[in-house]
Amino acid sequence: MKTSAVFSAALSLVALVSPSAAKSTTALLTPPQVFKNTNLVHVISVEKNYVKENVNVLIENISKEPQDEYYLPFTADQVSRLGGVEVKDRKDASAGPFSTQTVELDPESDTLYLRIQLPTPLKAGVQQTLGITYYFLDAYKPLPASIKQDDIQFLAYSFSAYLPSAYATLKQKTEVKFPSSTIPDYTRLPGSGDVKEFPQKQGSKLTYGPFTEQPAGAVEPVQVRFEFNKPVTHISELQRDIEVSHWGGNVAFEERYTLYHHGANLSSLFNRVKWTQANYYNPTTHALKELKFPLRIGSADPYYTDVIGNVSTSRFRSNKREALLEIKPRYPIFGGWKYPFTIGWNSDAKNFVRATASGGYVLNVPFLEGPKQVEGVEYENVRVRVVLPEGAENVKYHTTIPEISITDASVVIHQTFLDTIGRTALIIKARNLVDDFRERELVVSYDLPLAARLRKPLVVFGSALVVFVSTWVLGSLDFSFSSKRK
Amino acid sequence: MSADPLHVLANAGKGQSTRTVLRVIILCLIAAAAIASRLFSVIRFESIIHEFDPWFNFRATKYLVANGFYNFWNWFDDRTWHPLGRVTGGTLYPGLMVTSGAIYHALRTLTIPVDIRNICVLLAPAFSGLTAFAAYLLTNEMTTSSSAGLLAAVFMGITPGYISRSVAGSYDNEAIAIFLLVFTFYLWIKALKQGSMLWGALCALFYGYMVASWGGYAFITCLLPLHAFVLICMGRYSTRLYVSYTTWYALGTLASMQIPFVGFLPVKTSEHMPALGIFGFLQLLGFLDYVRSAIPGRQFQTFLWLFTGGVFSVALAALVVVTSAGIIAPWGGRFYSLWDTSYAKIHIPIIASVSEHQPTAWPAFFFDLNFLIWLFPAGVYLCFQQLADEHVFLVVYSLFGSYFAGVMVRLMLTLTPVVCVTAAVAASSLLDTYLSDKSPNPEEYHPEDSNDATSKKAPKAGLKSTNKPVVGIYGFVSKGVIVSAMTIYLLLFVLHCTWVTSNAYSSPSVVLASKMPDGSQHIIDDYREAYQWLRQNTKEDAKIMSWWDYGYQIGGMADRPTLVDNNTWNNTHIATVGKAMSSSEEVSYPIMRQHEVDYVLVVFGGLLGYSGDDINKFLWMVRIAEGIWPDEVKERDFFTPRGEYRVDGEATETMKNSLMYKMSYYNYNTLFPPGQAQDRVRGSRLPEVGPTLNVLDEAFTSENWIIRIYKVKDLDNLGRDHASAAAFERGQKKKRPAKRRGTRYLRTE
Repeated sequence: MKTSAVFSAALSLVALVSPSAAKSTTALLTPPQVFKNTNLVHVISVEKNYVKENVNVLIENISKEPQDEYYLPFTADQVSRLGGVEVKDRKDASAGPFSTQTVELDPESDTLYLRIQLPTPLKAGVQQTLGITYYFLDAYKPLPASIKQDDIQFLAYSFSAYLPSAYATLKQKTEVKFPSSTIPDYTRLPGSGDVKEFPQKQGSKLTYGPFTEQPAGAVEPVQVRFEFNKPVTHISELQRDIEVSHWGGNVAFEERYTLYHHGANLSSLFNRVKWTQANYYNPTTHALKELKFPLRIGSADPYYTDVIGNVSTSRFRSNKREALLEIKPRYPIFGGWKYPFTIGWNSDAKNFVRATASGGYVLNVPFLEGPKQVEGVEYENVRVRVVLPEGAENVKYHTTIPEISITDASVVIHQTFLDTIGRTALIIKARNLVDDFRERELVVSYDLPLAARLRKPLVVFGSALVVFVSTWVLGSLDFSFSSKRK
Repeated sequence: MSADPLHVLANAGKGQSTRTVLRVIILCLIAAAAIASRLFSVIRFESIIHEFDPWFNFRATKYLVANGFYNFWNWFDDRTWHPLGRVTGGTLYPGLMVTSGAIYHALRTLTIPVDIRNICVLLAPAFSGLTAFAAYLLTNEMTTSSSAGLLAAVFMGITPGYISRSVAGSYDNEAIAIFLLVFTFYLWIKALKQGSMLWGALCALFYGYMVASWGGYAFITCLLPLHAFVLICMGRYSTRLYVSYTTWYALGTLASMQIPFVGFLPVKTSEHMPALGIFGFLQLLGFLDYVRSAIPGRQFQTFLWLFTGGVFSVALAALVVVTSAGIIAPWGGRFYSLWDTSYAKIHIPIIASVSEHQPTAWPAFFFDLNFLIWLFPAGVYLCFQQLADEHVFLVVYSLFGSYFAGVMVRLMLTLTPVVCVTAAVAASSLLDTYLSDKSPNPEEYHPEDSNDATSKKAPKAGLKSTNKPVVGIYGFVSKGVIVSAMTIYLLLFVLHCTWVTSNAYSSPSVVLASKMPDGSQHIIDDYREAYQWLRQNTKEDAKIMSWWDYGYQIGGMADRPTLVDNNTWNNTHIATVGKAMSSSEEVSYPIMRQHEVDYVLVVFGGLLGYSGDDINKFLWMVRIAEGIWPDEVKERDFFTPRGEYRVDGEATETMKNSLMYKMSYYNYNTLFPPGQAQDRVRGSRLPEVGPTLNVLDEAFTSENWIIRIYKVKDLDNLGRDHASAAAFERGQKKKRPAKRRGTRYLRTE
């Protein structure tokens, strides 16, 4: 995170200039030891091309006072790839997602903390079960880093067998879920208790632990290497435009993707003969061949283009039950290759826009509508722009995307299609999202006065009138030097 | 055609204003028809830039829009002609790009978000509507018939001869140049008729625009002086001619010299000398005319004429001397090939290798102009009947245009306007005669005459009648026959135009279409597949070597530097690429290394049966290379002893060893069962063992194998030559030398 990096640089400067100031903050370099992890289950899922980690932890307040801040440590590199953090109370689903924030306590250390704000302070000696879910993007290293076109791709993931925690942990175990049971390499650890050696393998699952008590900050680096013969699709930039037209009764969507394959590179260059034959005999491959976009029912007029024009290899199936857009890139995408493209479609406004009782409007659209792939899709930067009708005011939004993922939201003016004052556009930027959030909503409410709705027809009518009248006036004037005609 | 019933309607409308309204409506409909008939490719495929040259214009337009006019004017493009680069701003006709750029910015200020690509794609159809209007204006200057102009507009709007260069996506200079050509001619006629300096200046203005838009401006530069000269020879010198010509020449030349690419050419090259000569001649004539009006006298007049002739011949001699001394450049190669059609084939293969520079085949005239081609002489004949100054212009233009259209396919375009105008004059004169509903005066009525007037004789009577006040042919039968025959011709013309446009001129050639077994359309998009791959998955400055045909497309779609492109300004550089393609790997590799080539792109149609591929163009590469290195590349070596050009097992060794052959057929045999590899373009079976490539790696082959891209190998790490390194890779170890070297190595240690 850039901002925090700048922040840390500034902090270290301050520390250099005034050592006394640094001294006074030493108390905050690590989180106060006010909690204890009584039991912890860490589930790491590497089934998709991003890592989904789920930490269920039973925490106990061991201090004298009530506490409401729980800290979870990450390295700076991890934080830059961390996304979709959601914290819930496992026992009480109605408590809703807890508010979270990344903070830096020690500017000189590589560790950053995720500060979880408990909605109600935990009283001394009381326990609470937290369910923490987060994702890491770009988490794998292909091993070997370059393979042949028809080879099988293996990925490696490194993590710590103990969950790095700011607090002491009494009992914990780490489960790793794999896409298949082919796991050729994984780090073995000496066992404890009646288990001789960690991890234990059950089908496509590895289990490290249970481990005995570990102090705060304990780590045990391990690495797993597993078969993942699917594309590692990484979208570095998604620009999603949603344009609402009240006059046209239409909501237009356009999405511009910059797509990369972050899997193993080709060790020898692309061979068309092999590709054609491999497709015929064995269709599973680590190359990306197709993307499927299940759109909302009622979507129409899809298009699929890239920078040099229309791409003809797409299909759109639309009926009462589905609206599935299937697109094929111009060429199969192998590791390290890039393919930017654009898709777009229209939909009836009544599917998304509702008038409220107070005279305003509410737009309810999916925040993300990217491809739905078996292997998953990760998004590094997402920019959603909702272009509302000209003159829309009092714009508010609400989204069910984890709030920590949203980096910026602003309202700007966007001029297009004979606008005079321009349309109100809401721009929301988010980072490190994955396709698990496809179903999340974006709700935008706005007011649209009648004057604003009538503005454009009146302006167009008025300008046409001015043109005609001025033509008529100019035509009836006599510009000739001599008046010999009459 | 739509004009006929509307024409009747126009006659029915009594008042002047009704006619004007009808005329405006008809012209708008004609413009709409002209635009609509050019949209086949957009509807059938997509809004895409076509073929080759338009891709450069498109890229230049994008540069102009992105970087502004002054940067465009001074644009040095280092992404073409590597490593030379090209002073693009100074070597192009900016009119087209500036026009689209102006339209783009105008629409942007109205906040209409139009993509620059769509402006470029639709510019040619939009201007064809204007051309139809210009043809209407020009024809109205020629005849008093109210329908001729409208007919000319219709003809101009839909004739395939013009559509061939102005379908949507055909974003080339001709897209706007034909409008400018016709409109300049209209302004010239207007200026000449009125002797008006204003119209002359307007003519010069549009001439300047034309110069900024198309190299074909030389056609105007030669035609207007020729017209003036013919008028003088006919004894029709007048102050009107003097005023209009001198205004046009002085202002027009100044305007044309503002274009960097033209610069001082108007005073330095032979193509522009007639205009200068006539300008000087007119000054003399003006002077003599003044003297003659002051001092009458037969002998003096004769003397003066002799004096004029003397000055003219002295000037001509001086021109010859100056030309031979090299101060004025002699005629360029393309102009020589206009006089001698086999000139280019012998001396400049690069000009001859372009199909549109070939002489026109006779059927092409009918194909492009349909029934206009036989109305054309009739129209010219009608011009002779009146032969005012403007009719002389049509006659001169017809002769000039016909000749050039016969020499070069491409120049059919310059003939088309005059064909449309004259054909419209002829057709309208026919229709005016026979469609007239005036009933004859009873005393003049001779029933026998009208019964005798069969359809054979009828046209003659019709033509004669143009001299006299129109009386019409009285019988309904003869009227009906002629009018219905004409209507059928007009309808057939529309059918023909639609058919030709749809079948011959509406393919983008970047995208190919084929039919699936079930009749649905299947798009073959190999070009863009490969270009997109290059664009996304190679280094930003990876140099691509390909034959020059694909240079503009690579620049436009793949956005990568190229060695040569369709702006064939440096023959030697093209010959270098030709040599690299036609030589063996050992010879080609140093050439490619010296030019920092990263990838080589070839077009191969063997799998699909796509005949426009590089093997079929290969002989031109050989010829062009041979022109520079006659000792190293020989065309004869590519033919079998029996004189056949073959690619199968019988191919010559030179052919089989050439880089182009190897790149085309590398790995191709592995796609087939052993010994079954078939080249579907040339219909030949290929040898069982395919060629081996040592200095290149296959990097990408498109789905239907149309584009094949090879990566040039780096120097070998161990300092071996590529042939032995590749042999080692294949496992063909030469055991003994390896062992000996090993022992020797140990001993020296």
